[in-house]
Amino acid sequence: MHAIKRLATGKNLSLLLALVAFLIPFFLEIPGLSEAGHRLLSIFLLAVILWVSEAIPLFATSASVILLLVLFLSDVAGQLSWAWGMAAFPEGMTAPAYTTFFNTLASKVLILFLGGFFLAFGAARFGVDKNLAAIMLKPFGTKPSRVLLGLMLITGVLSMWMSNTATTATIMAVVLPIIATLAPDDKFRVGLALGVPFAANIGGMGTPIGTPPNAIVLGALSKIDPATGETIGQCSFLQWMIFAIPIALLLMAFAWVLIVFMFPASKKAIEIDMNVKWAKSTHATIYYVTAIFTILMWVTGALHGINSYVVGMFPVVILLSTGVVSAKQFRGLEWDVLWLVAGGIALGVGVSATGFDTWLVGLIAWDSMSRVVIGIAICGTALLMSTFISNSAATNLLAPIAVAVAGAAGASAIIILAFVALGASMAMALPISTPPNAIAYSAGTFTTKQMVLTGTLIGAAGVLICFLLLRPLLHIAGVS
Amino acid sequence: MNQIAILSIEDEPEVREAIRRDLRPFEKQFRIEVSEDISDAREAIAQIEQDGDRIGLVLADHRLPGETGVDFLTKLHADGSHYPVRKVLLTGQADQQDTIRAINEGGLHHYIAKPWEPETLVTIVRDELTEYVLRSEDIDAMPYVAILDGPRLLEKISHGSRID
Repeated sequence: MHAIKRLATGKNLSLLLALVAFLIPFFLEIPGLSEAGHRLLSIFLLAVILWVSEAIPLFATSASVILLLVLFLSDVAGQLSWAWGMAAFPEGMTAPAYTTFFNTLASKVLILFLGGFFLAFGAARFGVDKNLAAIMLKPFGTKPSRVLLGLMLITGVLSMWMSNTATTATIMAVVLPIIATLAPDDKFRVGLALGVPFAANIGGMGTPIGTPPNAIVLGALSKIDPATGETIGQCSFLQWMIFAIPIALLLMAFAWVLIVFMFPASKKAIEIDMNVKWAKSTHATIYYVTAIFTILMWVTGALHGINSYVVGMFPVVILLSTGVVSAKQFRGLEWDVLWLVAGGIALGVGVSATGFDTWLVGLIAWDSMSRVVIGIAICGTALLMSTFISNSAATNLLAPIAVAVAGAAGASAIIILAFVALGASMAMALPISTPPNAIAYSAGTFTTKQMVLTGTLIGAAGVLICFLLLRPLLHIAGVS
Repeated sequence: MNQIAILSIEDEPEVREAIRRDLRPFEKQFRIEVSEDISDAREAIAQIEQDGDRIGLVLADHRLPGETGVDFLTKLHADGSHYPVRKVLLTGQADQQDTIRAINEGGLHHYIAKPWEPETLVTIVRDELTEYVLRSEDIDAMPYVAILDGPRLLEKISHGSRID
């Protein structure tokens, strides 16, 4: 009896459900969908259930997706005459080589992200994050609302380059002692604890390496359009910053005003005790130079012609060759994040290689809808999904669909994909929405209700801001 | 339920009550066991482990009926399976020899002399439990941020990889 109970826990149930969902398309005949499309649907359904339930770790689902794509949809399937064998692909399409799926594990966006990890690693190791926070916080004075603004801006700036999670943990470590000096009934305790994770979520939008959803949509953007033989879109590091930072800044301003209004401080002044102490070792110096050099190279791509993906390899090579990042530290990087992203990219490759996208978008008459409505709908879907599941997992599932929708609606891929990535980053209504929210919640100074109220308003404002500004900003950035 | 347990060993009923009272701030998040002597404590540990919980901190008196606190800590230390457990002596009667043995052979982490100030006990318990959480790789530090040393635990969280 006990054994049965243990087996019937949520995780095992989800695993069973994923398996059943995977099998269903094998026994169904869906009109208009090729045999290969059926198999893709199987893998997609399995991915949905596993990424939503987290019955196995997110990156394990990604690895499974890649393996299943290889076994069922690549040329490898053709050699399995004793098993399921090759599926029939839609006319004019053939099974991709299995290496196509394996290669996603070394996609250019993963290299870009790896470069980001090296910068973030050094920032934490040499205390650059804390030093920058201390320096940037000084000009904001001691007035509580100003201190909050300073903290939020610093959090946002740091999380453009580091993971939202690490940034939140770092800044919350500074904020907890401040909260401890406030009276138990001071509403500002809530304001401080909410402002930091919100700012981290929002700041992640700012650069291609700010958060995995950005990398996933950039990965989706590098799909080759069969009609032209070129990628379906282009967006450089600087172009991303040009369209994303204004949106992030506006949303940050909204969040700040909202928090100051809802959770005013009863104390007149807040003192923050932070010391600036720059590490001066050779390794630290090498890191500073490398970080500045890399960031400069990233934003000046148009001048020197070395694209951001290639630049991402620079800090990797420099910091590894100089021993600033040791073998042990190299092993300790967030490889799981890279694999998670790869799974999403591989799924996207599978979706278009099987014609699944064409079938899926063919279900709806897109011509009858305005592109604006489509954009809002997809942004809202991303927001809603990632409120409950991991932002990266939500983007992994939505990006391939977004690409197909853009094609069917005659919209540019980048605008729809940007809606997905930004929408995913705007989800912050629950403690489980993002790890930054969970970290702040663990400090125990605010209730779920307070987070739901503020987080929902910020999400709604975010969608509105994107609706109004994304298109003109993309135009200004010159993104096609 | 996978809770971290605090095990206190104290033979005098009034002192036991005082310890129980002083540990109240930890009640919500930790399992608290108070034993009268060493054999009682061993049973408590067995029970804790049977429930799927783990022992995080031992708060032992030295002079007890039967085996002494230092003997117990020494054996606990030698038993590798309890490696990260934090060990604190809370006593007024341990002589220098016992204390030296507790440090060298028992891997003692802290010595609190009786009588103690409640705030001191709370601070030490908080620090030792924080240390335990930081040293146990398989423990998620997040549920303890509010009750233990938050800033130190956040440091661990920022180095662990949670995915955005």
